[in-house]
Amino acid sequence: MLNLCQPVVLLLLFSQVFGAIANPELLPPGTAYVDYLLPALLVTTVMGPATNSGVGLVRDMTGGFLTRLRSMPVDPCWILLARSVSDVARVVAQLIVLVIAGVVLFGFVPAGGPLGMLAALAVAVLVAWTLTWIFLALGSWLRDVEMMQSIGVISVFPLMFASSAFVPVHAFPGWLQVVAMANPMSHAMRATRELALGWSTGHTLPAVATCVGFLALGMFCAVRGFRRPIVG
Amino acid sequence: MTELMIEADRLTRVFGDVTALDTVTLTAPRGAVLGLLGHNGAGKTTLVNVLTTQVPPSSGTARVAGLDVRQGDQIRALIGLAGQFAAVDGQLSGLDNLITVARLLGAGRRAAYARAAELLDLFGLAGAARRPARTYSGGMRRRLDLAMSLVGHPEVIFLDEPTAGLDPESRLVLWRIVGRLARDGITVLLTTQYIEEADRLADAIVVLSGGRVVASGTPAELKAQVGTSSVRVTPVWPHGPARVLDCLSEAGFRAFAGPGARSVSTPVAEPGLVASVVRALDAAGIGVSELNVTEPTLNDVYLNLIKPEPVR
Repeated sequence: MLNLCQPVVLLLLFSQVFGAIANPELLPPGTAYVDYLLPALLVTTVMGPATNSGVGLVRDMTGGFLTRLRSMPVDPCWILLARSVSDVARVVAQLIVLVIAGVVLFGFVPAGGPLGMLAALAVAVLVAWTLTWIFLALGSWLRDVEMMQSIGVISVFPLMFASSAFVPVHAFPGWLQVVAMANPMSHAMRATRELALGWSTGHTLPAVATCVGFLALGMFCAVRGFRRPIVG
Repeated sequence: MTELMIEADRLTRVFGDVTALDTVTLTAPRGAVLGLLGHNGAGKTTLVNVLTTQVPPSSGTARVAGLDVRQGDQIRALIGLAGQFAAVDGQLSGLDNLITVARLLGAGRRAAYARAAELLDLFGLAGAARRPARTYSGGMRRRLDLAMSLVGHPEVIFLDEPTAGLDPESRLVLWRIVGRLARDGITVLLTTQYIEEADRLADAIVVLSGGRVVASGTPAELKAQVGTSSVRVTPVWPHGPARVLDCLSEAGFRAFAGPGARSVSTPVAEPGLVASVVRALDAAGIGVSELNVTEPTLNDVYLNLIKPEPVR
Protein backbone atom coordinates (compact mmCIF):
# COMPACT_ATOMS: atom_id res chain seq x y z
CA MET A 1 0.00 0.00 0.00
CA LEU A 2 2.77 2.43 0.97
CA ASN A 3 4.69 1.41 -2.13
CA LEU A 4 1.71 2.34 -4.25
CA CYS A 5 1.72 5.91 -2.91
CA GLN A 6 5.48 6.43 -3.19
CA PRO A 7 5.46 7.83 -6.75
CA VAL A 8 2.60 10.14 -5.79
CA VAL A 9 4.71 11.55 -2.95
CA LEU A 10 7.54 12.13 -5.43
CA LEU A 11 5.10 13.79 -7.82
CA LEU A 12 3.96 16.10 -5.02
CA LEU A 13 7.51 17.00 -4.02
CA PHE A 14 8.97 17.42 -7.47
CA SER A 15 6.00 19.32 -8.90
CA GLN A 16 6.00 21.75 -5.96
CA VAL A 17 9.77 22.11 -5.41
CA PHE A 18 10.93 22.20 -8.99
CA GLY A 19 7.69 23.73 -10.20
CA ALA A 20 8.39 26.74 -7.97
CA ILE A 21 11.63 27.54 -9.78
CA ALA A 22 10.80 26.12 -13.20
CA ASN A 23 11.24 28.80 -15.83
CA PRO A 24 8.18 28.54 -18.08
CA GLU A 25 10.23 29.89 -20.97
CA LEU A 26 12.38 26.76 -20.90
CA LEU A 27 9.36 24.49 -21.27
CA PRO A 28 7.71 23.89 -24.63
CA PRO A 29 5.05 26.61 -25.17
CA GLY A 30 1.74 25.98 -23.46
CA THR A 31 3.08 23.14 -21.31
CA ALA A 32 2.41 23.29 -17.56
CA TYR A 33 5.23 21.95 -15.35
CA VAL A 34 3.13 19.03 -14.12
CA ASP A 35 2.44 18.05 -17.74
CA TYR A 36 6.16 18.14 -18.44
CA LEU A 37 7.01 16.25 -15.25
CA LEU A 38 4.50 13.43 -15.03
CA PRO A 39 5.32 11.50 -18.22
CA ALA A 40 8.97 11.52 -17.12
CA LEU A 41 8.02 10.31 -13.64
CA LEU A 42 6.47 7.28 -15.33
CA VAL A 43 10.02 6.36 -16.32
CA THR A 44 11.80 7.34 -13.09
CA THR A 45 9.24 5.39 -11.05
CA VAL A 46 10.28 2.08 -12.58
CA MET A 47 14.01 2.42 -11.81
CA GLY A 48 13.99 1.71 -8.06
CA PRO A 49 11.79 -1.39 -8.26
CA ALA A 50 14.01 -2.74 -11.06
CA THR A 51 17.09 -2.55 -8.84
CA ASN A 52 15.10 -4.23 -6.07
CA SER A 53 14.36 -7.13 -8.40
CA GLY A 54 18.07 -7.82 -8.70
CA VAL A 55 18.57 -7.58 -4.95
CA GLY A 56 15.56 -9.85 -4.36
CA LEU A 57 16.92 -12.45 -6.75
CA VAL A 58 20.25 -12.57 -4.91
CA ARG A 59 18.40 -12.82 -1.58
CA ASP A 60 16.36 -15.74 -2.92
CA MET A 61 19.53 -17.45 -4.09
CA THR A 62 20.99 -17.37 -0.59
CA GLY A 63 17.75 -18.64 0.96
CA GLY A 64 16.70 -22.21 0.38
CA PHE A 65 13.67 -21.73 -1.84
CA LEU A 66 15.60 -21.30 -5.08
CA THR A 67 17.71 -24.33 -4.24
CA ARG A 68 14.50 -26.28 -3.93
CA LEU A 69 13.25 -25.02 -7.29
CA ARG A 70 16.57 -25.91 -8.84
CA SER A 71 16.33 -29.45 -7.51
CA MET A 72 12.97 -29.77 -9.28
CA PRO A 73 12.41 -30.34 -12.98
CA VAL A 74 11.73 -26.63 -13.54
CA ASP A 75 13.68 -24.69 -16.16
CA PRO A 76 15.50 -21.77 -14.48
CA CYS A 77 14.24 -19.46 -17.28
CA TRP A 78 10.76 -19.68 -15.82
CA ILE A 79 11.97 -18.69 -12.37
CA LEU A 80 13.45 -15.48 -13.80
CA LEU A 81 10.46 -14.84 -16.03
CA ALA A 82 8.04 -15.27 -13.13
CA ARG A 83 10.09 -12.93 -10.97
CA SER A 84 10.21 -10.24 -13.68
CA VAL A 85 6.48 -10.49 -14.38
CA SER A 86 5.46 -10.28 -10.72
CA ASP A 87 7.83 -7.37 -10.03
CA VAL A 88 6.69 -5.47 -13.09
CA ALA A 89 3.04 -6.10 -12.21
CA ARG A 90 3.58 -4.20 -8.97
CA VAL A 91 5.18 -1.33 -10.87
CA VAL A 92 2.21 -1.19 -13.23
CA ALA A 93 -0.07 -0.65 -10.22
CA GLN A 94 2.20 2.20 -9.06
CA LEU A 95 2.11 3.79 -12.51
CA ILE A 96 -1.67 3.67 -12.69
CA VAL A 97 -2.01 5.27 -9.24
CA LEU A 98 0.50 7.92 -10.30
CA VAL A 99 -1.44 8.86 -13.43
CA ILE A 100 -4.80 8.94 -11.65
CA ALA A 101 -3.38 11.08 -8.81
CA GLY A 102 -1.77 13.37 -11.39
CA VAL A 103 -5.04 13.95 -13.20
CA VAL A 104 -7.27 14.21 -10.13
CA LEU A 105 -5.04 16.06 -7.67
CA PHE A 106 -2.44 17.93 -9.69
CA GLY A 107 -4.34 19.02 -12.80
CA PHE A 108 -2.29 16.91 -15.19
CA VAL A 109 -3.80 17.05 -18.69
CA PRO A 110 -2.65 14.29 -21.02
CA ALA A 111 -3.15 16.15 -24.27
CA GLY A 112 -2.46 12.96 -26.21
CA GLY A 113 -5.82 11.63 -25.00
CA PRO A 114 -6.50 8.30 -23.30
CA LEU A 115 -4.90 6.35 -26.13
CA GLY A 116 -1.73 8.43 -26.00
CA MET A 117 -1.63 8.06 -22.23
CA LEU A 118 -2.01 4.28 -22.51
CA ALA A 119 0.77 4.19 -25.10
CA ALA A 120 3.02 6.21 -22.76
CA LEU A 121 2.24 3.75 -19.97
CA ALA A 122 3.09 0.88 -22.30
CA VAL A 123 6.50 2.42 -23.00
CA ALA A 124 7.10 2.89 -19.26
CA VAL A 125 6.20 -0.76 -18.65
CA LEU A 126 8.60 -1.84 -21.39
CA VAL A 127 11.34 0.24 -19.74
CA ALA A 128 10.44 -1.34 -16.39
CA TRP A 129 10.71 -4.84 -17.83
CA THR A 130 14.00 -4.06 -19.55
CA LEU A 131 15.61 -2.54 -16.44
CA THR A 132 14.32 -5.44 -14.35
CA TRP A 133 16.04 -7.93 -16.65
CA ILE A 134 19.25 -5.93 -16.65
CA PHE A 135 19.33 -5.99 -12.85
CA LEU A 136 18.35 -9.68 -12.79
CA ALA A 137 21.32 -10.28 -15.10
CA LEU A 138 23.63 -8.31 -12.79
CA GLY A 139 22.28 -10.20 -9.78
CA SER A 140 22.62 -13.61 -11.36
CA TRP A 141 26.29 -12.96 -12.14
CA LEU A 142 27.39 -10.94 -9.10
CA ARG A 143 25.35 -12.79 -6.44
CA ASP A 144 26.18 -10.24 -3.79
CA VAL A 145 23.39 -8.33 -2.05
CA GLU A 146 25.52 -5.40 -0.87
CA MET A 147 27.11 -4.93 -4.25
CA MET A 148 23.68 -5.01 -5.91
CA GLN A 149 22.39 -2.38 -3.50
CA SER A 150 25.37 -0.11 -4.20
CA ILE A 151 25.01 -0.53 -7.94
CA GLY A 152 21.32 0.29 -7.58
CA VAL A 153 21.96 3.56 -5.73
CA ILE A 154 24.93 4.57 -7.89
CA SER A 155 23.10 3.97 -11.14
CA VAL A 156 19.60 5.20 -10.29
CA PHE A 157 20.48 8.76 -9.26
CA PRO A 158 22.49 9.74 -12.35
CA LEU A 159 19.99 7.96 -14.61
CA MET A 160 17.20 9.89 -12.94
CA PHE A 161 18.72 13.37 -12.55
CA ALA A 162 21.18 13.58 -15.45
CA SER A 163 18.21 13.32 -17.77
CA SER A 164 15.43 15.46 -19.13
CA ALA A 165 13.13 14.32 -16.29
CA PHE A 166 12.92 17.59 -14.34
CA VAL A 167 14.50 20.24 -16.54
CA PRO A 168 14.76 20.39 -20.35
CA VAL A 169 18.21 19.25 -21.41
CA HIS A 170 19.05 22.54 -23.18
CA ALA A 171 18.97 24.33 -19.81
CA PHE A 172 21.92 22.23 -18.56
CA PRO A 173 25.60 23.26 -18.72
CA GLY A 174 27.28 21.94 -21.87
CA TRP A 175 28.92 18.83 -20.45
CA LEU A 176 25.75 17.76 -18.68
CA GLN A 177 23.79 18.18 -21.91
CA VAL A 178 26.08 15.60 -23.46
CA VAL A 179 25.56 13.21 -20.52
CA ALA A 180 21.82 13.74 -20.46
CA MET A 181 21.50 13.15 -24.20
CA ALA A 182 23.54 9.96 -23.85
CA ASN A 183 21.31 8.79 -21.00
CA PRO A 184 18.86 6.27 -22.46
CA MET A 185 16.31 7.37 -19.86
CA SER A 186 16.10 10.81 -21.54
CA HIS A 187 15.05 9.09 -24.72
CA ALA A 188 12.47 6.96 -22.94
CA MET A 189 11.11 10.13 -21.29
CA ARG A 190 11.00 11.87 -24.63
CA ALA A 191 8.89 8.98 -25.92
CA THR A 192 6.45 8.99 -22.97
CA ARG A 193 6.08 12.78 -23.30
CA GLU A 194 5.41 12.59 -27.01
CA LEU A 195 2.74 9.99 -26.50
CA ALA A 196 1.08 11.42 -23.39
CA LEU A 197 1.17 15.07 -24.48
CA GLY A 198 0.29 14.49 -28.12
CA TRP A 199 3.55 15.84 -29.55
CA SER A 200 4.79 14.59 -32.90
CA THR A 201 5.95 11.05 -32.27
CA GLY A 202 9.33 10.89 -34.02
CA HIS A 203 11.31 9.62 -31.02
CA THR A 204 9.09 6.80 -29.87
CA LEU A 205 10.08 4.13 -32.35
CA PRO A 206 13.87 4.44 -31.87
CA ALA A 207 13.39 4.53 -28.08
CA VAL A 208 11.25 1.38 -28.14
CA ALA A 209 13.68 -0.37 -30.47
CA THR A 210 16.64 0.46 -28.19
CA CYS A 211 14.68 -0.77 -25.22
CA VAL A 212 13.88 -4.08 -26.91
CA GLY A 213 17.57 -4.46 -27.75
CA PHE A 214 18.60 -3.95 -24.11
CA LEU A 215 15.80 -6.29 -23.03
CA ALA A 216 17.09 -9.08 -25.26
CA LEU A 217 20.63 -8.55 -23.97
CA GLY A 218 19.44 -8.50 -20.37
CA MET A 219 17.42 -11.70 -20.79
CA PHE A 220 20.29 -13.49 -22.48
CA CYS A 221 22.81 -12.53 -19.79
CA ALA A 222 20.39 -13.22 -16.93
CA VAL A 223 19.57 -16.73 -18.12
CA ARG A 224 23.23 -17.51 -18.79
CA GLY A 225 24.26 -16.25 -15.36
CA PHE A 226 21.40 -17.93 -13.54
CA ARG A 227 22.13 -21.36 -15.01
CA ARG A 228 25.53 -21.41 -13.33
CA PRO A 229 25.50 -23.58 -10.21
CA ILE A 230 24.77 -22.00 -6.86
CA VAL A 231 27.92 -22.56 -4.85
CA GLY A 232 27.91 -22.02 -1.15
CA MET B 1 21.20 -58.07 -7.14
CA THR B 2 19.54 -55.13 -5.47
CA GLU B 3 19.08 -52.03 -7.53
CA LEU B 4 21.48 -49.22 -6.60
CA MET B 5 19.70 -45.88 -6.29
CA ILE B 6 22.75 -43.82 -5.36
CA GLU B 7 26.21 -44.55 -6.72
CA ALA B 8 29.27 -42.34 -6.54
CA ASP B 9 32.54 -43.52 -8.03
CA ARG B 10 35.73 -41.57 -7.26
CA LEU B 11 33.63 -38.44 -7.20
CA THR B 12 35.67 -35.25 -6.90
CA ARG B 13 34.59 -31.63 -6.75
CA VAL B 14 37.08 -28.78 -6.61
CA PHE B 15 36.21 -25.16 -5.84
CA GLY B 16 39.27 -23.03 -6.63
CA ASP B 17 42.04 -24.39 -4.38
CA VAL B 18 39.62 -26.26 -2.16
CA THR B 19 38.94 -29.93 -2.83
CA ALA B 20 35.48 -30.19 -1.32
CA LEU B 21 35.03 -33.82 -2.38
CA ASP B 22 38.03 -36.06 -2.87
CA THR B 23 37.48 -39.38 -4.73
CA VAL B 24 34.32 -40.22 -2.82
CA THR B 25 32.90 -43.66 -3.54
CA LEU B 26 29.64 -44.83 -2.01
CA THR B 27 26.44 -46.67 -2.87
CA ALA B 28 22.93 -47.02 -1.52
CA PRO B 29 20.46 -49.73 -2.60
CA ARG B 30 16.75 -49.00 -3.09
CA GLY B 31 14.92 -48.36 0.16
CA ALA B 32 18.08 -47.88 2.20
CA VAL B 33 18.84 -44.98 4.53
CA LEU B 34 22.41 -43.86 3.98
CA GLY B 35 23.78 -41.65 6.74
CA LEU B 36 26.47 -39.18 5.83
CA LEU B 37 28.30 -38.20 8.97
CA GLY B 38 30.77 -35.36 9.22
CA HIS B 39 31.60 -32.00 10.72
CA ASN B 40 30.95 -28.65 9.11
CA GLY B 41 33.07 -28.37 5.99
CA ALA B 42 33.51 -32.13 5.65
CA GLY B 43 31.88 -32.05 2.21
CA LYS B 44 28.41 -33.32 3.08
CA THR B 45 26.49 -30.48 1.47
CA THR B 46 28.73 -30.48 -1.60
CA LEU B 47 27.99 -34.18 -2.05
CA VAL B 48 24.27 -33.49 -1.75
CA ASN B 49 24.61 -30.62 -4.24
CA VAL B 50 26.36 -32.86 -6.75
CA LEU B 51 23.88 -35.72 -6.34
CA THR B 52 20.92 -33.34 -6.68
CA THR B 53 22.44 -31.93 -9.91
CA GLN B 54 23.03 -28.44 -8.46
CA VAL B 55 26.79 -28.63 -8.94
CA PRO B 56 28.51 -30.69 -11.63
CA PRO B 57 31.32 -33.02 -10.52
CA SER B 58 34.91 -32.05 -11.38
CA SER B 59 35.77 -35.67 -12.03
CA GLY B 60 34.47 -39.14 -11.27
CA THR B 61 30.90 -40.23 -11.81
CA ALA B 62 27.71 -40.12 -9.81
CA ARG B 63 24.45 -41.82 -10.64
CA VAL B 64 21.07 -41.36 -9.01
CA ALA B 65 18.28 -43.82 -9.81
CA GLY B 66 20.56 -45.19 -12.53
CA LEU B 67 20.95 -41.81 -14.27
CA ASP B 68 24.17 -39.83 -14.55
CA VAL B 69 23.93 -36.58 -12.55
CA ARG B 70 24.79 -34.66 -15.70
CA GLN B 71 21.30 -35.61 -16.99
CA GLY B 72 19.79 -32.91 -14.81
CA ASP B 73 16.11 -32.76 -15.61
CA GLN B 74 15.49 -36.50 -15.70
CA ILE B 75 17.00 -36.91 -12.25
CA ARG B 76 15.24 -33.86 -10.85
CA ALA B 77 11.92 -35.51 -11.65
CA LEU B 78 12.85 -38.47 -9.41
CA ILE B 79 14.34 -36.81 -6.35
CA GLY B 80 13.34 -34.64 -3.44
CA LEU B 81 15.63 -32.29 -1.55
CA ALA B 82 15.23 -30.86 1.93
CA GLY B 83 18.21 -28.60 2.34
CA GLN B 84 19.89 -27.16 5.40
CA PHE B 85 17.65 -24.13 5.45
CA ALA B 86 13.95 -24.81 5.47
CA ALA B 87 13.07 -23.78 1.92
CA VAL B 88 9.55 -22.59 2.53
CA ASP B 89 7.99 -19.34 1.41
CA GLY B 90 7.13 -17.54 4.64
CA GLN B 91 4.48 -15.38 2.99
CA LEU B 92 2.49 -18.39 1.80
CA SER B 93 0.51 -20.72 4.02
CA GLY B 94 1.66 -24.31 4.45
CA LEU B 95 -1.12 -25.41 2.11
CA ASP B 96 -0.13 -22.89 -0.58
CA ASN B 97 3.56 -23.81 -0.30
CA LEU B 98 2.66 -27.44 -1.02
CA ILE B 99 0.22 -26.55 -3.78
CA THR B 100 2.85 -24.33 -5.44
CA VAL B 101 5.33 -27.19 -5.55
CA ALA B 102 2.71 -29.63 -6.83
CA ARG B 103 1.65 -27.21 -9.56
CA LEU B 104 5.27 -26.62 -10.56
CA LEU B 105 5.62 -30.38 -10.91
CA GLY B 106 2.72 -30.31 -13.35
CA ALA B 107 -0.21 -31.44 -11.20
CA GLY B 108 -3.65 -30.04 -11.96
CA ARG B 109 -5.40 -27.74 -9.49
CA ARG B 110 -7.49 -30.50 -7.93
CA ALA B 111 -4.69 -33.08 -7.77
CA ALA B 112 -2.33 -30.49 -6.26
CA TYR B 113 -4.80 -29.67 -3.52
CA ALA B 114 -5.41 -33.34 -2.78
CA ARG B 115 -1.69 -34.11 -2.52
CA ALA B 116 -1.11 -31.04 -0.33
CA ALA B 117 -3.92 -32.01 2.03
CA GLU B 118 -2.61 -35.59 2.23
CA LEU B 119 0.89 -34.43 3.14
CA LEU B 120 -0.33 -31.88 5.68
CA ASP B 121 -2.20 -34.70 7.39
CA LEU B 122 0.77 -37.02 7.27
CA PHE B 123 3.09 -34.42 8.79
CA GLY B 124 0.72 -33.25 11.49
CA LEU B 125 0.34 -29.79 9.97
CA ALA B 126 -3.36 -29.92 9.04
CA GLY B 127 -4.24 -27.59 11.92
CA ALA B 128 -1.83 -24.92 10.67
CA ALA B 129 -2.52 -25.46 6.98
CA ARG B 130 -3.83 -21.98 6.29
CA ARG B 131 -1.46 -19.98 8.49
CA PRO B 132 1.47 -18.21 6.80
CA ALA B 133 4.56 -20.38 7.11
CA ARG B 134 6.49 -17.55 8.76
CA THR B 135 4.36 -18.10 11.88
CA TYR B 136 5.47 -21.74 12.12
CA SER B 137 7.91 -22.97 14.73
CA GLY B 138 11.30 -24.29 13.61
CA GLY B 139 10.10 -27.88 13.84
CA MET B 140 6.95 -27.15 11.84
CA ARG B 141 8.96 -25.42 9.13
CA ARG B 142 11.24 -28.43 8.81
CA ARG B 143 8.27 -30.73 8.57
CA LEU B 144 6.69 -28.54 5.92
CA ASP B 145 10.02 -28.43 4.10
CA LEU B 146 10.23 -32.21 4.14
CA ALA B 147 6.61 -32.49 3.01
CA MET B 148 7.40 -30.16 0.08
CA SER B 149 10.24 -32.38 -1.03
CA LEU B 150 7.88 -35.37 -1.05
CA VAL B 151 5.13 -33.81 -3.16
CA GLY B 152 6.29 -35.45 -6.39
CA HIS B 153 6.55 -38.97 -4.93
CA PRO B 154 10.36 -39.01 -5.27
CA GLU B 155 12.25 -42.29 -5.39
CA VAL B 156 15.30 -40.81 -3.70
CA ILE B 157 15.22 -38.10 -1.08
CA PHE B 158 18.13 -36.03 0.17
CA LEU B 159 17.93 -34.63 3.68
CA ASP B 160 20.71 -32.21 4.49
CA GLU B 161 20.98 -31.93 8.28
CA PRO B 162 17.22 -32.21 8.73
CA THR B 163 17.32 -31.85 12.52
CA ALA B 164 20.04 -29.22 12.96
CA GLY B 165 18.84 -26.67 15.48
CA LEU B 166 15.66 -28.54 16.41
CA ASP B 167 14.46 -29.28 19.92
CA PRO B 168 14.49 -32.96 20.99
CA GLU B 169 10.76 -33.43 20.48
CA SER B 170 10.75 -32.08 16.93
CA ARG B 171 13.79 -34.23 16.27
CA LEU B 172 11.91 -37.35 17.35
CA VAL B 173 9.00 -36.44 15.08
CA LEU B 174 11.35 -36.06 12.12
CA TRP B 175 13.07 -39.33 12.92
CA ARG B 176 9.72 -41.12 12.87
CA ILE B 177 8.95 -39.59 9.49
CA VAL B 178 12.30 -40.66 8.02
CA GLY B 179 11.75 -44.17 9.31
CA ARG B 180 8.40 -44.28 7.59
CA LEU B 181 9.86 -43.07 4.28
CA ALA B 182 12.35 -45.92 4.31
CA ARG B 183 9.59 -48.45 5.02
CA ASP B 184 7.73 -47.07 2.00
CA GLY B 185 10.72 -48.01 -0.16
CA ILE B 186 12.10 -44.50 -0.63
CA THR B 187 15.88 -44.31 -0.67
CA VAL B 188 17.09 -41.70 1.79
CA LEU B 189 20.42 -39.94 1.96
CA LEU B 190 20.70 -38.13 5.24
CA THR B 191 23.53 -35.89 6.33
CA THR B 192 24.06 -35.22 9.99
CA GLN B 193 26.58 -34.16 12.59
CA TYR B 194 24.94 -36.33 15.22
CA ILE B 195 26.16 -39.88 15.59
CA GLU B 196 23.02 -40.73 17.51
CA GLU B 197 20.89 -39.64 14.58
CA ALA B 198 22.85 -41.70 12.08
CA ASP B 199 22.69 -44.60 14.50
CA ARG B 200 18.92 -44.38 14.86
CA LEU B 201 18.09 -43.95 11.21
CA ALA B 202 20.79 -45.23 8.91
CA ASP B 203 21.29 -48.70 7.49
CA ALA B 204 24.78 -47.69 6.47
CA ILE B 205 26.97 -44.78 7.49
CA VAL B 206 29.68 -43.03 5.55
CA VAL B 207 31.99 -40.76 7.53
CA LEU B 208 33.37 -37.81 5.59
CA SER B 209 36.28 -35.69 6.71
CA GLY B 210 38.01 -33.08 4.59
CA GLY B 211 36.10 -34.30 1.55
CA ARG B 212 37.29 -37.89 1.87
CA VAL B 213 35.51 -41.01 3.02
CA VAL B 214 37.32 -41.99 6.20
CA ALA B 215 35.05 -44.85 7.20
CA SER B 216 31.94 -46.61 6.10
CA GLY B 217 29.85 -49.46 7.37
CA THR B 218 26.77 -50.24 9.37
CA PRO B 219 26.28 -48.30 12.61
CA ALA B 220 27.24 -51.40 14.57
CA GLU B 221 30.48 -51.80 12.65
CA LEU B 222 31.44 -48.18 13.18
CA LYS B 223 30.63 -48.26 16.84
CA ALA B 224 32.63 -51.41 17.32
CA GLN B 225 35.58 -49.42 16.05
CA VAL B 226 35.02 -46.70 18.62
CA GLY B 227 33.82 -48.80 21.55
CA THR B 228 30.60 -48.46 23.46
CA SER B 229 31.79 -45.61 25.59
CA SER B 230 34.70 -43.31 25.85
CA VAL B 231 36.80 -42.39 28.87
CA ARG B 232 38.42 -38.99 28.99
CA VAL B 233 41.28 -38.55 31.41
CA THR B 234 42.82 -35.24 32.45
CA PRO B 235 46.03 -35.88 34.42
CA VAL B 236 47.16 -33.81 37.39
CA TRP B 237 49.92 -31.38 36.51
CA PRO B 238 52.88 -31.93 35.91
CA HIS B 239 51.91 -35.23 34.27
CA GLY B 240 51.27 -34.46 30.61
CA PRO B 241 48.92 -36.25 28.24
CA ALA B 242 51.95 -38.00 26.75
CA ARG B 243 52.48 -40.09 29.90
CA VAL B 244 48.82 -41.00 29.97
CA LEU B 245 48.98 -42.07 26.33
CA ASP B 246 51.99 -44.29 27.00
CA CYS B 247 50.46 -45.79 30.08
CA LEU B 248 47.16 -46.61 28.43
CA SER B 249 48.81 -47.97 25.28
CA GLU B 250 50.89 -50.31 27.44
CA ALA B 251 47.72 -51.46 29.17
CA GLY B 252 46.27 -52.36 25.77
CA PHE B 253 43.92 -49.42 25.19
CA ARG B 254 43.77 -47.38 22.05
CA ALA B 255 44.24 -43.86 23.35
CA PHE B 256 44.49 -40.52 21.60
CA ALA B 257 44.82 -36.92 22.65
CA GLY B 258 41.42 -35.34 23.08
CA PRO B 259 40.30 -31.85 22.23
CA GLY B 260 42.29 -29.19 24.07
CA ALA B 261 45.31 -31.52 24.28
CA ARG B 262 45.26 -31.46 28.11
CA SER B 263 43.24 -34.65 28.15
CA VAL B 264 43.40 -38.11 26.62
CA SER B 265 40.43 -40.08 25.35
CA THR B 266 40.20 -43.81 25.05
CA PRO B 267 37.29 -45.82 23.73
CA VAL B 268 36.37 -48.84 25.80
CA ALA B 269 34.50 -51.82 24.43
CA GLU B 270 32.35 -52.32 27.54
CA PRO B 271 31.60 -50.22 30.61
CA GLY B 272 33.36 -52.67 32.94
CA LEU B 273 36.68 -51.73 31.39
CA VAL B 274 36.50 -48.22 32.84
CA ALA B 275 37.86 -49.66 36.07
CA SER B 276 40.81 -51.15 34.18
CA VAL B 277 41.65 -47.70 32.85
CA VAL B 278 41.68 -46.30 36.36
CA ARG B 279 43.78 -49.22 37.67
CA ALA B 280 46.34 -48.76 34.89
CA LEU B 281 46.69 -45.05 35.66
CA ASP B 282 46.93 -45.72 39.39
CA ALA B 283 49.61 -48.39 38.88
CA ALA B 284 51.66 -45.91 36.85
CA GLY B 285 51.30 -43.31 39.60
CA ILE B 286 49.52 -40.78 37.45
CA GLY B 287 47.21 -38.50 39.35
CA VAL B 288 43.90 -37.80 37.66
CA SER B 289 42.13 -34.50 38.14
CA GLU B 290 39.15 -35.29 35.94
CA LEU B 291 37.69 -38.46 34.52
CA ASN B 292 34.59 -38.54 32.32
CA VAL B 293 32.80 -41.51 30.89
CA THR B 294 30.78 -40.52 27.82
CA GLU B 295 28.92 -42.00 24.91
CA PRO B 296 31.22 -42.17 21.89
CA THR B 297 30.85 -38.87 20.13
CA LEU B 298 31.49 -37.94 16.56
CA ASN B 299 34.73 -36.50 17.87
CA ASP B 300 35.77 -39.92 19.13
CA VAL B 301 34.90 -41.46 15.78
CA TYR B 302 37.09 -38.91 14.06
CA LEU B 303 39.97 -38.97 16.45
CA ASN B 304 39.88 -42.72 16.30
CA LEU B 305 39.54 -42.94 12.53
CA ILE B 306 41.94 -40.22 11.55
CA LYS B 307 44.56 -41.32 14.09
CA PRO B 308 46.14 -37.99 14.86
CA GLU B 309 49.83 -37.68 15.65
CA PRO B 310 50.35 -38.51 19.32
CA VAL B 311 51.11 -35.53 21.54
CA ARG B 312 54.63 -35.88 22.90
